[in-house]
Amino acid sequence: MSEMLSGAEILCRALVDAGVEVIFGYPGGAIMPFYHALPDHPRLRHILVRHEQAAAHAADGYARASGRVGVCVATSGPGATNLVTGLAAAHMDNSPVVAITGQVSRPMIGRDAFQETDIIGITLPITKQNYLVQDVTELAEVVAEAMAVALEGRPGPVLIDVPKDVQNQKIEYGAPRARARGQSRPLTPGASGGLEDGVRKAARLIAGAERPLLMVGHGVILAQAYAEVRALAEKTGIPVITTLLGISAFPDGHPLHLGMPGMHGEVHVNRAIQNADVIIGIGLRFDDRVTGNTASFAPQARIVHIDLDRAEIGKNVPVAVGIVGDARDITRRLVAAVEPRRCERWVEHIHGFVRTRAESYRGDLSPEAILASIYEASHGDCTIVTDVGQHQMWVAKLYPYQRPNTHITSGGLGAMGFAVPAAMGVHLARPNGTVWAISGDGGFQMNMAEMATMVQEGLPVKMAVFNNGYLGMVRQWQQFFHEKRYSCTPIWSPDYVKLAEAYSIPGYRVKEASELAEVVARANAQPGPALVEFMIEQEANVYPMIPPGGSLSEPIEAAPAGAAGD
Amino acid sequence: MSGVAPPFPSPSPSPAAHTVAVLLVTLNRAFGVLRRRNVPIEGLALHPSGTAGESRLTFVLKADAVTADRVAQQFHKMIGVRSVMVLANDDSTTEAKR
Repeated sequence: MSEMLSGAEILCRALVDAGVEVIFGYPGGAIMPFYHALPDHPRLRHILVRHEQAAAHAADGYARASGRVGVCVATSGPGATNLVTGLAAAHMDNSPVVAITGQVSRPMIGRDAFQETDIIGITLPITKQNYLVQDVTELAEVVAEAMAVALEGRPGPVLIDVPKDVQNQKIEYGAPRARARGQSRPLTPGASGGLEDGVRKAARLIAGAERPLLMVGHGVILAQAYAEVRALAEKTGIPVITTLLGISAFPDGHPLHLGMPGMHGEVHVNRAIQNADVIIGIGLRFDDRVTGNTASFAPQARIVHIDLDRAEIGKNVPVAVGIVGDARDITRRLVAAVEPRRCERWVEHIHGFVRTRAESYRGDLSPEAILASIYEASHGDCTIVTDVGQHQMWVAKLYPYQRPNTHITSGGLGAMGFAVPAAMGVHLARPNGTVWAISGDGGFQMNMAEMATMVQEGLPVKMAVFNNGYLGMVRQWQQFFHEKRYSCTPIWSPDYVKLAEAYSIPGYRVKEASELAEVVARANAQPGPALVEFMIEQEANVYPMIPPGGSLSEPIEAAPAGAAGD
Repeated sequence: MSGVAPPFPSPSPSPAAHTVAVLLVTLNRAFGVLRRRNVPIEGLALHPSGTAGESRLTFVLKADAVTADRVAQQFHKMIGVRSVMVLANDDSTTEAKR
């Protein structure tokens, strides 16, 4: 049976058919037909954000927490361009997001019409695919294809640009035909000889290794290869390193877990890399924040690289064995192929590299104490969403993650302002769980308007603001590398407690460690959103630190001479 | 942070010429990759492939075989790319492995 439907109605219906339940968006001129049709589709819950960037970050957070596609909607022009940072973040971290933008009507395209931007051109390098829908007959199929493309293989964002007159165009609508796809190229080849050969070679390398390491990235979380990675570690006794986006892929308290590598990785983790003779990297891309200077990265190691995307193999570091495929599938094969072994002497050797640091914090309000209070208040059962900067590194290093995929952060793009909106998406993906958005005073101020969204839409996000009065990570770089010239890094904040109250959100301020347990527990127990501001040491630093472009062998472990600080 | 990022991919000291031929239906994205990945292109040609809506993009890059293969892989994973061939200066031709 067919009926006459407008493009806007088809768009809504196609989203419902694709199983979409939540949309983050903001209306405007060129997307108004869609918003006109939306109330007829109550299965699509619309979250009205306060800025389109938040819509994209929230869709990203939803996607990362649920493993499903996150959807955001914006109008043409400024609405579309405001999505860009969020799409870039999703692209860098392989998050399946579909963005739908209104566009000026087809006859106006290319005439510099009001609120016209070439969002297809703008988002080409930060989307996996994008579509300008030229005719309403394509619309339903484009939506179905976009949802599939975003999710399949190595996930990523997809944008659909829909001119206003296409949204208004009416056609007789039947069941959408299967679209002849340009390509549905699986990045994973079948069980080819190459793959089996790779697994055999990797198993041989593991058997012969004296100082092997597992390095685990976001691919393990995307493939949900937790049990397989753990089985591989436990069968071989190989210690495990988790990259920033690999955190929570392996339980933090596990005796084989070493921690995070790279620029702010612990000394023993980076030393382990520099001393390893075999590294098995699963679902990571050997990003420069992980490797430091690649010329001196893991100089003794032969690297086995397992990745879904063949283009990643050998892109950043030379690889002895590259295996292209799904992290879960390959790791399972590797578990079967390896002989049981132990690495006790090597693990002991690594533990010999462990450094303890004594730093002092005002009111004993250390990052560790704050994070411990959040862990305690939530009984270790919450999702932590971090922003970007010093607090992000403290969380990555200090929060004791026990549950898979409970650490969500903007890794590759490093987008300040991510945490608060992304946490809204996480809540909608995990409505029965607790979510804490942890930000600095800089990043929080970028998207704090979303508190209004939380109130209007009933999103009980718990917000932690680490307030040190500085753009702390930039200040730290200025201290270390720019003669302690704190150029434009002191940052004023409003009274966050009063601000929260203005949004009818309970707000708290913590100045002393002695207040932590009670206040954080009270905030955590709020039925709705809550905000806690932590007045932390102003010039605390994240140690250790590998200078940008430096070698993992040469960490900064204390403030350089002449640079005062903590 | 110092200086300009090295080109992707880093050319070897005395690179040979390689030709990459891509059969594809979406041109914009392909040009975007050439620009974004800083591919050291020396020449570029575009022809209709003979199949409606499909084009053959051929470009020469001054780079070794490993680099040429890395460039090919960036194209290979692109939606709308039908095939990628790498042609070495000794006339040997390989289809980029998946």
